[in-house]
Amino acid sequence: MADQPIPKFHKCIAVLWPSFLTAIVATGVFFSAFDPAELFPFGTDLEISRLGIYTIGFLVFWLITAVSAIGTLYFAISNCLRNHPDSRDQ
Amino acid sequence: MTAPNADGSAKPRTSDEQVEELLYARQEKIYPREVHGLYARLRVLGVTGLLGIYYFLPWVQWDSHQAVLFDLPARKFHIFSITLWPQDFIYLAALLIIAGLTLFFVTALVGRVWCGYACPQTVWTEAFLWIERKVEGTRLQQQKLDAMPMNARKLRIKATKHFLWVVFSAWTGFTFVGYFTPILDLGHRLLAFQLGPWEIFWVIFYGFATYGNAGWMREQVCKYMCPYARFQSAMFDKDTLIISYLPGRGEPRGSRKRSTDPAALGLGDCIDCTLCVQVCPTGIDIRNGLQYECIACSACIDACDDVMDKMGYEKGLITYTTENAIEGRKAHIIRPRVVIYAMILLTIMSIFAYSIATRTALGLDVIRDRNSLYRETSEGLIENVYTLKILNMDKAAHTYKLDVSGIPGIELDSDTREIRVESGAVMEFPVRLRADESDLDARSSKVTFGLVATDAPELAIQEEARFLGPN
Repeated sequence: MADQPIPKFHKCIAVLWPSFLTAIVATGVFFSAFDPAELFPFGTDLEISRLGIYTIGFLVFWLITAVSAIGTLYFAISNCLRNHPDSRDQ
Repeated sequence: MTAPNADGSAKPRTSDEQVEELLYARQEKIYPREVHGLYARLRVLGVTGLLGIYYFLPWVQWDSHQAVLFDLPARKFHIFSITLWPQDFIYLAALLIIAGLTLFFVTALVGRVWCGYACPQTVWTEAFLWIERKVEGTRLQQQKLDAMPMNARKLRIKATKHFLWVVFSAWTGFTFVGYFTPILDLGHRLLAFQLGPWEIFWVIFYGFATYGNAGWMREQVCKYMCPYARFQSAMFDKDTLIISYLPGRGEPRGSRKRSTDPAALGLGDCIDCTLCVQVCPTGIDIRNGLQYECIACSACIDACDDVMDKMGYEKGLITYTTENAIEGRKAHIIRPRVVIYAMILLTIMSIFAYSIATRTALGLDVIRDRNSLYRETSEGLIENVYTLKILNMDKAAHTYKLDVSGIPGIELDSDTREIRVESGAVMEFPVRLRADESDLDARSSKVTFGLVATDAPELAIQEEARFLGPN
């Protein structure tokens, strides 16, 4: 794998796609346990509907899972490079 | 492309390195040629049926609400006469497990039919290809159009295609949001330009995903993004239905006149017309054997059967078959793998059906007061305090009767006279239990709260709690 550069497009997929799927699961589990209306018992200054909170929750989960996927991709590539020092990524 | 094996078997010939090479190769645009035939008709049936359900279902009404509505703003899911609450999350999880196992079972039995006929990626790609063919014409016309420099005609054709794709995608995104927020209301607000910002976000998000996946990415989604495509081979065995070219009959391939006898020329039945390659939506040559890119759409079967007919040869040079059948061995439909998948599937489905059928639309939660273990009343009785939470998951409001048992002569006392809970509401109130010390056997005794709707005795639930005392 390391003797071939990985196209940017595939790297984007490797980061954004699995994190998207796990973010959906995380959002589903989280919001079936917690009602956004009860998450902020003293109210917030922001007037956001439940749909809005779900959306923001999903995007935050996606961000977190994407960061984790970037880490995995980075370590996978750099470990590969260490094991095959003569090959070059990019 | 590798040459067919000398032994004529249909085993995969691509090695791991070759697969890796292909996975990281630069993508060429694929122009699948239009195909007619039995399997193409089946796929059109699948595509129209599934898309029809997708676009039509949210508009169906049932019992004065939308038949299928995952009402996120109101936190309840309507599926025809069943209403599910966040507490019923387990049912949705079970449904997903059932769907997954069904996919395993079907794959073991008949291979990747899911990919070829029912996967949303295939279904929407087919719809987008149809629009593309209507606007840009046949495979050859499309290739010519793409090869020519930009001019007014090309711009007009391309703009028309993308306009139609975008409109179709936007409608898809709107329908998607209609599954999560009532679509009639959504439609009214759309016409009045009063959609909320989050609804607009999701219409655009889903619409864009449809446009990108079905218009641009297409077979690349199957090759690079689909997890199922990566692990489906684990469900395969030598008796799984696959699409295969029969090299023993087709080789050596070569062109010939219709009138000549292939045997005299030393040729097999394959006339090397490459139609099977031209119709393939993933751009592979099925004659190279079973490949991971193959989504089992059977376009190559239709194309080849047509050619065989024209040549006056027997159909089925490319056909649905099994590895065992190709090698001339007996095919087994029932085998341990299939039986085990079926048994697990049946078990989970039965448990699911049983628990849905016996589900009580009522929830009772008993929380002991954490501040004190117990206290003695002025009459010398032992008192425990609890907080009760009652959740009415039924579609109508009910009045409930509460009782308690487990200790002889136990008294129930509450400030709440009438327990009336609206549909979908939670009621929370404190209750006090009192018992005589002489009736308590241990420091901690079991008590059972029973709750029943006064107008519907089948709505009954019991919940256990501990009653603490001094001895």
